[in-house]
Amino acid sequence: MTLLLQGLALGILTGGLYALLSSGLSLYFGVMRVVMVAHPAFLIVAAYLTFTLHTGLGLDPLLTLPITVPVFFVAGVAIQRLLIARLASDTMAMMSVLLTFGLALIIEGLLGTFYTGSYRSISMEYATQSLALGPVRLPYDRIIAFAVAAVTLGVLFAVLRMTRFGQALRATIQHPEAARLIGIKTERVTGYGFGVGLATAAVGGAVLALITPFFPAAHWVWIGKLMAIIVVGGLGSVQGAAVAALMLGVIESLVLVTVDATWATMMFYIFLFLTLVVRPQGFFGGRLAQRF
Amino acid sequence: MTRGQGARRSLAILAIGSLGLTACGGVNGGAEKDDGTGPVKVGISLPLTGDFSEPGKGVQEGYQVWADQVNKAGGLLGRKVELLFRDDASDPNRVVSDYESMITQDKVNLVFGPFSTRLVIPAAEVAESYDMLFVEPAGAAKEVFEQGFKNLFYAAPAVADDHYNYLAEYIIALPADRRPKTAAYASLDDPFAQGTAYGLRDKLAAAGIKTVADEVYPPETTDFAPIAAKIAAAKADIVVGGTQFEDSVGLVRALQELGSQPKLAAFSTGPTLQEFPEAVGGAVEHILSPVGWSVSSGFSGNDAFVKRYKEMFKNEPNEDAANGYTVGQIVEAAVKAVGCVDPVAECQGKLADHIRGGKFDTIVGPLTFDDQGRPEAAHMIQQYVDGKVEIVLPEGSKAQTSKLVFPKKEW
Repeated sequence: MTLLLQGLALGILTGGLYALLSSGLSLYFGVMRVVMVAHPAFLIVAAYLTFTLHTGLGLDPLLTLPITVPVFFVAGVAIQRLLIARLASDTMAMMSVLLTFGLALIIEGLLGTFYTGSYRSISMEYATQSLALGPVRLPYDRIIAFAVAAVTLGVLFAVLRMTRFGQALRATIQHPEAARLIGIKTERVTGYGFGVGLATAAVGGAVLALITPFFPAAHWVWIGKLMAIIVVGGLGSVQGAAVAALMLGVIESLVLVTVDATWATMMFYIFLFLTLVVRPQGFFGGRLAQRF
Repeated sequence: MTRGQGARRSLAILAIGSLGLTACGGVNGGAEKDDGTGPVKVGISLPLTGDFSEPGKGVQEGYQVWADQVNKAGGLLGRKVELLFRDDASDPNRVVSDYESMITQDKVNLVFGPFSTRLVIPAAEVAESYDMLFVEPAGAAKEVFEQGFKNLFYAAPAVADDHYNYLAEYIIALPADRRPKTAAYASLDDPFAQGTAYGLRDKLAAAGIKTVADEVYPPETTDFAPIAAKIAAAKADIVVGGTQFEDSVGLVRALQELGSQPKLAAFSTGPTLQEFPEAVGGAVEHILSPVGWSVSSGFSGNDAFVKRYKEMFKNEPNEDAANGYTVGQIVEAAVKAVGCVDPVAECQGKLADHIRGGKFDTIVGPLTFDDQGRPEAAHMIQQYVDGKVEIVLPEGSKAQTSKLVFPKKEW
């Protein structure tokens, strides 16, 4: 029983992390049907930047965010305007896979050149302790990850719902032509949308660096999991992805403590399969995804 | 940078070489035998990119140090040694085509093995089909030796199952009141990693130490906390990990966070890497690991290897580099004893026979091989004592630098 509770608690915390890591992917797909295979590679870039700022300037990993987030935002806008905007819109989904796959390989190669293939890690004193709630222990690094994820997703949600930019972005997602007709500069908005997506990778990477060691090729293990999450959640739906991330995090953890790790990892793909068979638009996705 | 240039240079050599071959193809009809005057070419495929790029690079550096030393001392049978590297990106298909083309097109005189069990078996199949000697630095899992290879030898002290032998002996010999009663195991789903953990598990289980948790996780695992939760709930006296790097760090951190305090903790591979202490911080104290090589072992040629490695790569050598170097040492000894280095069945067979029957002084200690090519020694056991790596087992050997600390300090 204690083990189940422990598994549940860890699952919720990990699910929060998954939600953070996959939020950018939903956004790219929602805004411009871009399947961004390089998103996990950017997470690793962010982890390395965090590492450099942490070891070079002695900054706490989370205090590097004011530096990395704007850098990633600008990089995201640049990638959208310079690369992705040039793809033909009717083959966007397929071509963007190829383009961003290439980007991921380039990033991995550059990281290997600059940082070598050695493992890097950030170990903070507070990241090895845990909060005891009765028999259940909550590791502080996971609590921090969950809190950062909650704050980031909250901000993202608020931006999408309450700002003029958010309204313009949602209008662009829902109907680009109509958005243009009412005077929204959809190209610029799309670029900013991509920037926001990549900015979440800066946050995700910093949190990842706190939790696990990383090396240039570490992004590959994340692609499958994160893609499964956004499909289950409903392509393009940021909220859907968050719910799916929490759900899959909990299921993974519970299966792990009751059955074994192989089945736990398989859960992502079983749910992906079930979703595609039973409800291709995703379990929590809205009308948007149904159009594809 | 230098790696890229090296690759480009070897490409250029390749291109020129194949041009030359086509040019004289009409004359000698592509004769298999080389003329015995040019450089001795050694073909090697390694994962220089991808998941195993780090150990792959280590092995490459070990090979390079060996070639450098051989050439300084006048070469192999008076001929210069030239290493030909291919990058297989840890892909079993590429490793096969790499060895095929190096043997048939580049007409290499010798081949050395690639990295990791996964790649060693397909690569060895190619070498075997061309009757080439195949000494390899990394295929330690038992499957490697069950394929019926006749020319394969593993150039390290022990196969995976025997890595923890000294530790097993130590634990079993403890007086009954101090001896641990329960053990928990967690292993990566990988033949090498599982081999190490299960070798110890089976020996301890046979001696009456109960297995209370036995977890296997796939390589894609990113979250080790729930696995650690299961181990913590089992309250085992000792924790053993059949691990590589991230998983050893993940398990140590998670066990620490979950308040699990075993009396002994041993992990394969991870703790032998320089990055490990930084990754786990203070928890590193008293963690054990099997290790096939140590900087200060004093074995034949080790000091010279360490010195030259530091000069060439401005870094500390690791076990991967040592294993690569050991391959070179063994093949060199065989070539010198037999006196041939032709890529034909007769010569390669003689080399293999010599290795099977001989005893070789290497930087990982004296090595002998059984009929399937298994090395017949055991790994040393290292432990972090006061934050420093010390060799603690075997007791009384010249490599031992400190006594094993048991039970371990809490992490």
